[in-house]
Amino acid sequence: MSDNCYANELVPAIAKVFKIVDETPDIKTFFVSLPDGTKPFTPQPGQLGMVSLLHIGEAMFSVTAQGETHLEFAIKKCGLLTDALHEIKPGQMIGVRGPYGNGFPIERCLGKDLLFIGGGIGLAPVRSLITYCLGQRDDFGTLDIIYGARSIADLCFKEDLFSNWPRHERTKVHVTVDQGDPDCSCHIGFVPAFLEKINPDPQDKMVILCGPPIMIKFCLEVLTKIGYQDEQIITTLEMRMKCGIGKCGRCNIGSKFVCLDGPVFSMADLKNLPGEF
Amino acid sequence: MHILAKANLIEAIERLVKEFKVLVPMQYDGVSRFSVWGSHGMQAFNASNTLLPPKDSLFPRTETLYAYQVANQEITGVTVRDQAEHQIIFGIRPCDMQSIHCLDDVFLTKGYADSYYHSKREKLLTVCIGCTKSEPTCFCESMGINPAGHSGADIQMNDLGSGYRVVAQSQSGQEIVEKWKDLLSQGQEEVVAASCTLKVDMNGVPEMLATLFEHSLWQEVSRKCIGCGTCTYLCPTCHCFDMDIQNQGNQGTRFRCWDSCMFSDYSRMAGGHDPRPSKSERLRNRFLHKLQFFSERYGKSLCVGCGRCLIKCPVHVDITLLIDQVRKEAAHV
Repeated sequence: MSDNCYANELVPAIAKVFKIVDETPDIKTFFVSLPDGTKPFTPQPGQLGMVSLLHIGEAMFSVTAQGETHLEFAIKKCGLLTDALHEIKPGQMIGVRGPYGNGFPIERCLGKDLLFIGGGIGLAPVRSLITYCLGQRDDFGTLDIIYGARSIADLCFKEDLFSNWPRHERTKVHVTVDQGDPDCSCHIGFVPAFLEKINPDPQDKMVILCGPPIMIKFCLEVLTKIGYQDEQIITTLEMRMKCGIGKCGRCNIGSKFVCLDGPVFSMADLKNLPGEF
Repeated sequence: MHILAKANLIEAIERLVKEFKVLVPMQYDGVSRFSVWGSHGMQAFNASNTLLPPKDSLFPRTETLYAYQVANQEITGVTVRDQAEHQIIFGIRPCDMQSIHCLDDVFLTKGYADSYYHSKREKLLTVCIGCTKSEPTCFCESMGINPAGHSGADIQMNDLGSGYRVVAQSQSGQEIVEKWKDLLSQGQEEVVAASCTLKVDMNGVPEMLATLFEHSLWQEVSRKCIGCGTCTYLCPTCHCFDMDIQNQGNQGTRFRCWDSCMFSDYSRMAGGHDPRPSKSERLRNRFLHKLQFFSERYGKSLCVGCGRCLIKCPVHVDITLLIDQVRKEAAHV
């Protein structure tokens, strides 16, 4: 990244959305480059970027993927800015600033088997780490990806789930949907129950968990039952943010700020903080 | 020691206005605040701290961050607005001086310096006047602040009756004192400082609060809170801000403005989830931020004992009574 693409930390760089992929009826992935064809910044897996339509608003999203010259944001339509983002066409100029936050603790995952658990749009941040691990495949043990969505149509990143990821060695993708045609090729049922059925061995494993709060809650119960320790479980949180640099106040959990000290926390970290997230 | 006779105070200030925007405590229409020297109102050097804190000189109520032009899919220009002028806050009290140190921690540390704050802070000089009387709502001493003065001010002044003792505490302060050379006399007089009648015992309070997160006291205290946000707007250390936009046709500005953690949409996310959905969580977060979280993060209290929230809370939520209650409840945990 060219450091001078920002005037200061609160001013976005102007970038171009050059491609938009419809993932599900309410999730699109936006491919973003600077006008000179370079990447706005180079985030670590799990780091965040602030995306804006200057005349509408600004919000924080995880960077779901990146290439040599671009960033990808998978964004669910659920508010003022995201509704407007879902209306834009390729060629639209947007604002982008970042990267923010800590990202996933890759050093703690090295050499371990990894279990990724995602629900709905919760796969977006997790995907950045999955892609990283697949790129450095020898540094990690087995990769198991458990992913669930409401229906087949609501599954994000279908090409990755059904084609790209399973092709890699020692990598398994387990997909479930809440509801579906009994003939469909996926498992039917909620993620926590599916997790219990798969019953992944906690030995030498790290879990990366992200999804709706209710899914996280029940998955944690299952993981504890199977024998996982809090230190083995990593999650990434979302909070309302305005500045992204730990000044505006609103994303605090106790004395931590999700924008700076997060968004990635281990369950052991979170147990030492107030449950306000 | 240098003494500035009160008869020379106006001249001393007048000598600064060419180079600085001089802010002095003024009373106008029943409200005291720091206003530009010469603006309408009554000078209030003899009153205790102003009702409105001086934080807006560093962190304005609303502040334009940048302007933009948008046309169809294009963004044709982004212009950063960051203008700072040389300012002096003349007559700041020790509690408010400490509040600037708290704001410095927020805006200038932890990996990011906020450039809008930074540019103003670099051009700010402070002249602190020690307090000779305390209001019934003053409790700065309990928060570890000396009513006689603050070492962080560029110049420390103390009211001796007919004049002020003047001590430069920084290089920039020394330069100002040089300008006053012919206005100053030498003398030896005892500095008399106020002593707060309102006292709280802060010893161990952050640790106690850590054990009371789920306590029913937050429900109790918040029952009468109406979520008006007055406490946060008058608080010299409250620094939360919102960032929003104002559009006019193809162009607009992005600005930030003071926000309040007491407001219901403060932490509500798109999609409706709110980690602090009711008054009791919001009030708890505010008090814990003042008394526990900030000291965990920055090693100092975010309450400076200025007493403004005690004076103006319409339903008399009182942080000193809350601290007393915390001590009482913690003894029972």
